[in-house]
Amino acid sequence: MTERTFPVVKDAAVAKDDGSAVLGATLTSCSQPGEPSPLVLTTKLDNLINWFRGNSIWYLLFATACCGIELMQTGGPRTDLDRFGAVFRASPRQSDLLIVAGTITYKMADRVRLLYSQLAEPKYVLAMGSCANCGGLFQGSYSVVPGVDSIVPVDIYLPGCPPRPEALNEAILRLQDKMRGERWFHRIKG
Amino acid sequence: MEFRDIQERVHTGLGGSFEVQDEIHDPAIIVPKEQLRAVCGFLRDDESLRMGTLRIITGIDRPAKKDSTESGSIEVVYHLCSYVHGHTVVIKTLLDREAPKVDSVQDIWPTANWHERETYDLLGVEFEGHPDLRRIMLPKDWVGHPLRKDYEPPKEYHGIPTTREAVLQAPRVEKVSPAQHEPKSDEPPERFIQLNMGPHHPATHGVLNFLLETDGEILRRVKPDVGYLHRGMEKLAERISYPGTMPFTDRIDYLGAMFTNHGWAMACEKLFGVEVPRRADFCRVIASELNRLASHLIATGCLPMEVGAFTPFIHWLREREIINDIMEMICGARLTYNYMRIGGVSRDIDQATIDKILGWLDNFEPTIDEFNRLISGNEIFVKRLANMAVIPAEVAVGYSLLGPNLRASGVDWDVRKNEPYSVYGELEFDVVTGQGWRGSIGDSYDRYFCRILEMKESVKIIRQACDLMPEGPIIAPKVPKKPAANEVYARTEGPRGEAGFYVVSDGSDKPYRARYRMGSFTAMSVIEAVTPGLMLADLVALIGSLDTIAPEVDR
Repeated sequence: MTERTFPVVKDAAVAKDDGSAVLGATLTSCSQPGEPSPLVLTTKLDNLINWFRGNSIWYLLFATACCGIELMQTGGPRTDLDRFGAVFRASPRQSDLLIVAGTITYKMADRVRLLYSQLAEPKYVLAMGSCANCGGLFQGSYSVVPGVDSIVPVDIYLPGCPPRPEALNEAILRLQDKMRGERWFHRIKG
Repeated sequence: MEFRDIQERVHTGLGGSFEVQDEIHDPAIIVPKEQLRAVCGFLRDDESLRMGTLRIITGIDRPAKKDSTESGSIEVVYHLCSYVHGHTVVIKTLLDREAPKVDSVQDIWPTANWHERETYDLLGVEFEGHPDLRRIMLPKDWVGHPLRKDYEPPKEYHGIPTTREAVLQAPRVEKVSPAQHEPKSDEPPERFIQLNMGPHHPATHGVLNFLLETDGEILRRVKPDVGYLHRGMEKLAERISYPGTMPFTDRIDYLGAMFTNHGWAMACEKLFGVEVPRRADFCRVIASELNRLASHLIATGCLPMEVGAFTPFIHWLREREIINDIMEMICGARLTYNYMRIGGVSRDIDQATIDKILGWLDNFEPTIDEFNRLISGNEIFVKRLANMAVIPAEVAVGYSLLGPNLRASGVDWDVRKNEPYSVYGELEFDVVTGQGWRGSIGDSYDRYFCRILEMKESVKIIRQACDLMPEGPIIAPKVPKKPAANEVYARTEGPRGEAGFYVVSDGSDKPYRARYRMGSFTAMSVIEAVTPGLMLADLVALIGSLDTIAPEVDR
């Protein structure tokens, strides 16, 4: 049995304390010529987990109003959210992200709390559109919640009435950035 | 029949003389509340009147003037219409503001059931003899009736601050405790299974809740619980000027925003007495019909998805993106257009846009046939929908169904044909009615296929309109700021049926009362009547075939 040398990953192991190191640094192969190189990647567990999480954001299909149509279009053939690993789920138990797409009324408010508490941890909330951000056009109405952040904690605010699919796309990418910066493993430990 | 003839017929038929309010645009007969039921029954059953459809019930709060000794009143307005004779009438009854009570007419027109509940909820009018007078839009524990002029909203609701100042001062929400928020049914337990469907359910097209009572998998009773998207648009219109309400109408029906724009513009034009330039009318028709295509693409794409076929939906989204591009060229927005203005449109449709539209139509028309080969003839699809939830013509008329849902039941009624507005009178197209293509007339398949065929008619209309469009201005030169005191009702034929706009003006620059009548509201109320005996899974297909959307139901 010949002794194999493994490729050494430079740079990738150089993670900063805030966990912001990026995966996918240069691979230097040290294997024998002609032999397929077994790839080994060394990185921090946080980064690895975040990499997985960021590329499998399953969002809850929670479309209440106009923004819901743009949410549908974003999942459609042109913008195609699937390519970022973001697919919609019908049940909060299977989702990481609550996209509040549309106006929330007081009658709906309790249900939003319930849905939020049913999401699997760690969970994120994306307030899509002006209504979810601050009540939007309907801020002055007697029955509309002036911003979903008075019911649940919000991670990303996406302005627009309704936001374009490209904007929602960008919001998902920003959420990925946010996830990459998190030290999730530490949070679990204590 | 003209209003005078109708008035005379009522007088001779019932032997009496009613007051008439004829200085307004659509004159109204004022009926004392004791005689309301007799008059309504007569209007419906008399051979020469046959007012089979109740369009809308509106409550108008008229509090006492400050230095007046008279007590205030609440008007309840009934807009009636006959599909047989094609005439309309408005009747009003005046109630005491302190204890407004009137007899229910829900047994005369079944659609009145929900309209009366809404009037009770928002204005506090009690309808005596109503079997189920509960709040419909607002939560059960809500206090007060918002459409009263002296209504004061609460400072907080279930711990949520409601005013802007309170929101800014409130601490950031970090933890959410869901303990007391499990939804509960207020029905007494029985041996049948009680099931809560919604308000968050992917197949309900937005947020609405169904309380189901099932025997195994057979539905015994379905009670729709709406109002989860009640945004109080009618109250907001009272605070904002006439042109300022235009963007709000976009959001009543986000899939058919052009039609709500158009309806509001038409109502205001009637009020202000403004003439629309001819080119603007053609711009409106082209934009509206493109919008109808976009809406029907969602409707006919979602229905297969609801019964398990995802691919057709993706096909239609592809086409819809192109309509969205065209809409952006026309008015700069993809979904909430805000395209129309009182007296015209905001931007012209230039030749480049017309070329793009015509080019796309040439591609799109064969796609409809391709779509039919893909799904409309698919055996599984047909079996799910044919003969399912049949709505006979008389039920459809009684519940005041509108648009494709009404026509699928075999009733030949299209506002574009029967009461032509804009330039629809000059354009040639057919009204599609249900033929029982795969089962019986008025089944879910008919409702689906009506929409497919209507898309072909829309294509025809757009081609003609592009061809006939004259040169000229696109907006009326001068629009007054304030209209005279008047009441108008304008209607357009939207993708979900007739969009009605009833506007009451008191001579100021803001509407005194605005009332929107939308197709999904009545479509939702018919569900309770047609579902007993269906399978649970059919309910989802039925909602899809009715093409209801939540903001239209709740406004």
